Amino acid sequence: MHCSFQRTLICLAGLISASFITGCTGSDSRLPILGERETTERVVVGGKTVTDTLYHTIPDFSFIDQDNDTVTQQTVEGKIYITDFFFTSCPTICPVMKKQMLKVYKSIQDDPEIMILSHSIDPAHDTPAVLKKYAEELGVTGKQWLFLTGEKEKIYEIGQGSYLVSAKEDDNEAGGFIHSGAFILIDKNKNIRGMYDGTTDEGAAKLIKDLKKLKAE
Amino acid sequence: MIYKKNRYRLSGMLAAGLMLMAGCTDSEKVKKEQYYVEGYQLYTTYCANCHSDDGKGLGDLYPPLNRKDPLPPKALFACIVQNGTSEKIIIDGKTYERPMPANAGLTELDIAEIATYIYTKWGQDSTYTSIHEIKSGLTNCK
Repeated sequence: MHCSFQRTLICLAGLISASFITGCTGSDSRLPILGERETTERVVVGGKTVTDTLYHTIPDFSFIDQDNDTVTQQTVEGKIYITDFFFTSCPTICPVMKKQMLKVYKSIQDDPEIMILSHSIDPAHDTPAVLKKYAEELGVTGKQWLFLTGEKEKIYEIGQGSYLVSAKEDDNEAGGFIHSGAFILIDKNKNIRGMYDGTTDEGAAKLIKDLKKLKAE
Repeated sequence: MIYKKNRYRLSGMLAAGLMLMAGCTDSEKVKKEQYYVEGYQLYTTYCANCHSDDGKGLGDLYPPLNRKDPLPPKALFACIVQNGTSEKIIIDGKTYERPMPANAGLTELDIAEIATYIYTKWGQDSTYTSIHEIKSGLTNCK
C-alpha cells in the first residue's frame, strides 16, 4: 500500500510560499484563509458600490462517529477543528499520521473549543464498531476526537471538494486507496486556516503552534 | 601517456593497499556495520510506519520491538516479515490482534539486514544475521 501525498506536497509548497508573503507583514499576523475566493459587488446606501469577499467554507455534512452518533456542522458549531483522512487497515502513512495526531490531541485534550474529525475513506470496512476499537487501542476516549464513517461518495466529495485533499479509491495502489497525509485546520467560521504535513514532527508542531494563534483571534 | 600509466599503477597499488588494510580490520565487523546501516534504512521504509522509529509500536494498535519480552527466533521473524501474520500475539502482557501485512518484495538479504538492525538495537545480538539463517528459516514457514 502506498498512500500518496504528492498533492499535499504541492499544497504545502503553495502554503509555504504564502506564509513567506504573510511573514513580511509581521510575526503576529493572523493565519491566512485558504481556498478559492469570490468577490461580489453590492450597492450600499448612498449609491456607492462595495466589494465583498466570499471565502471558501466547509458545506453541511452528515456522518456517523465511533459511538454511532450523527455528526454534522452542528457538532462543530462555534468550535475550531482539525480534520484528516485515513483508514484503519492502512499500513503506510496512517499510523504515522495517527502518532502525530495523538501529539496534537494531547496538546488540546479537554479544551472544549477544539475537536478532531478523522474521516475513514474505507467506510465499507470501517464501521462505527471498528472505529471504536481503533480509537480505544490508540488510547482515545470521549467525544473530542471523532472517527467518522458514512456514505463513501460523501466522504470523498468533502475530502476533495471541501477540505482540498485527495481521498479516493485507486486500484493501482496496494491497499486500494489513495489519500493525503494532510491535517487541515478549520476555524469557527468554517474557513480553512491551515494545512500541515501530518506525517512529520514538524507538521504537528506547526499545527499546535497555529492552534494557539487561531484561538487567540 | 607515461603519466597515465603511472597513475593507473598508483591507483592499483592504492586499491591493493586498501584491501590489505580492510583485511587487517575485522571483515566481520565491516559486514555487521554494513548490514546494520542498510537494515536501518529498510526498517525506516518498511517497518517504522507501524512499529515506530523508536521501536515502541503505537498504543495498543501495533506491538513494540523495543520491549521486555524477547524477540522471536530468527526463523519465525523471517516468516512474519516475508509473509505477514494474522495471529494474535501477547507482548509485555498486552494483546495485539491486527494483521501484519506481507512484504513479498523483500529479498533474503533485505530481511537479514533488517534482522541485524532490530536484533542488535533491541535484542541481544552482537553480530549480524546471516542470509543463510534467513534462507533456512524461510524454507520452513508455516
